[in-house]
Amino acid sequence: MNYLSLKSFVLRSKLCLLLLLGSVVQAQADGLTTDKVRWHGFISQGLIQAPETNFVNLDDSISAELTDLGVNMSWALTDNVRLAGQVVYLDGGRRYTKGTRLDYLFLDWTLHSDFDWRLDMFVGRFKNQHWLYSATRDVPFTRNAIVLPQSVYFDSFRDIAVGSDGLAFKLTRNTSLGEVELNWSWGATNLSKEQSQILLSQLAQGDAEQEYVHQASLFWRPDQSAWQLGISLLDSDFTYEKAEQDYYSDGAMTIQRVMFNGRYAAEFWELSSEWVQERLDISDFYAPGFKRDSFSQGWYLQGRYNLLPKTWALLSVDLFDLDKDDRSGRKFSQSTGGLVPAYFGYQDDLTFGITYDFKDNLRLTMEHHWVKGTARLAYPVMPDLQYNKSEYWQMWAMQLMYWF
Amino acid sequence: MKIKFVTACVVLWTGYALATEVVTHPAVPMDQLTVTQLRGIYSMRQQNWPDGTAVRVFVLPAKNPIHQTFAKEKLQMFPYQLDRIWQKITYSGLGAAPVVLTSEQQMREMVANTEGAIGYIENSDELSKLKVIRVTQ
Repeated sequence: MNYLSLKSFVLRSKLCLLLLLGSVVQAQADGLTTDKVRWHGFISQGLIQAPETNFVNLDDSISAELTDLGVNMSWALTDNVRLAGQVVYLDGGRRYTKGTRLDYLFLDWTLHSDFDWRLDMFVGRFKNQHWLYSATRDVPFTRNAIVLPQSVYFDSFRDIAVGSDGLAFKLTRNTSLGEVELNWSWGATNLSKEQSQILLSQLAQGDAEQEYVHQASLFWRPDQSAWQLGISLLDSDFTYEKAEQDYYSDGAMTIQRVMFNGRYAAEFWELSSEWVQERLDISDFYAPGFKRDSFSQGWYLQGRYNLLPKTWALLSVDLFDLDKDDRSGRKFSQSTGGLVPAYFGYQDDLTFGITYDFKDNLRLTMEHHWVKGTARLAYPVMPDLQYNKSEYWQMWAMQLMYWF
Repeated sequence: MKIKFVTACVVLWTGYALATEVVTHPAVPMDQLTVTQLRGIYSMRQQNWPDGTAVRVFVLPAKNPIHQTFAKEKLQMFPYQLDRIWQKITYSGLGAAPVVLTSEQQMREMVANTEGAIGYIENSDELSKLKVIRVTQ
């Protein structure tokens, strides 16, 4: 059996197993669902190829490493206390860590609820509720695209940005100006060695730790309007403790984000957009005494159009500059003595996609990306010159998804 | 003649010819709701009626013309926006989506027989065991 037929066999086996798993899990979930306990889940499998990059794999081949599985439960313990949990299995190739993980598990205590306002407190491991797609970035049918705009949803940061262990509040209030939603959260994510190496490359042998991440966001849905507008803020500190034999030194990093988002909904089309400015302050780490404080900026605009009753088309533009004062990447390249090409300083992506719904809960999505620049390819702190060889590169993906 | 036929087909296809009524279990202690309050209920943020009874939300499938008319006329939203809200709360743990029923007849039976229930039906004179809720701006 040659390499390609082996890959095809593996993919077909994977799909059969997923379909079998889906039917079994749904039958179980239907049987277990009651007024107090609800079960849901999703299964998806796709193909992806991003040649001349390290985004998915290193051999440029078509990859079946595009699997998202999840099962969740919501259990109403009392009238105002609920336990919610979800387990997921993710395989995104080199984009983030592969495997099964506890996605969220928290207690949701409704502190107040009436027709004017509601306040909830969440304790445990909860999802990031602050950006447009952050709460469900691993749930394929909730995204407009298979690969989200990397300016905001940088896959190397996925494991850190997806949620936290800690405390969060959500307040929704109906005002004379429309509905206002306020989210606040405080927590941290425990980073495994594999997760650290996705961020810092395999040269990192020490311990990376997120000290805390503090986030707040405000969404406003004006009455009688098709708009939703939002703003969110993030502040997070990391430390790195080097191993005895290590490329890096002890160090600290601060990441701060300011983001704006907007969404406009019409009957047959929709626009969504997010803008981000991110501060990255690095102390020591590369070498004792090293100091760098830079601001990156990114922005995307996605338009969806309902071509036919079951078919939506997507057009997306995603722009990112590693340093807002060096958008061409020239200074960055010069600072490395020309070793790192300037195209590591930006990444601009034009995407076209088609989504077709076979049923209410069975969907196929296909998309193609034309990309210029490699600033949002691994690794964020160490450009991968060996595998990210081209300024211009392309990527395509297709994914079949089922949910219940 | 041809234009009238096409118009009638379009109207039937899009569901605009339908009119819907919001209905509740007869013991629900309200006679009218504002659009904002109704949105709060169908966004699954509103958990209880003023007397403390739990709100039980029922819907028809997304492609059902009654559902589409209800979403646009009563909630002033598009069905895909409702799907997104329900998917977000279901798959990020924030809550439970409404119970999806298969037919209008089942909707009538479930709302009539479930304490705290709210749903919607095609406009009709046959309203036994259901309370009609007036929706205001």
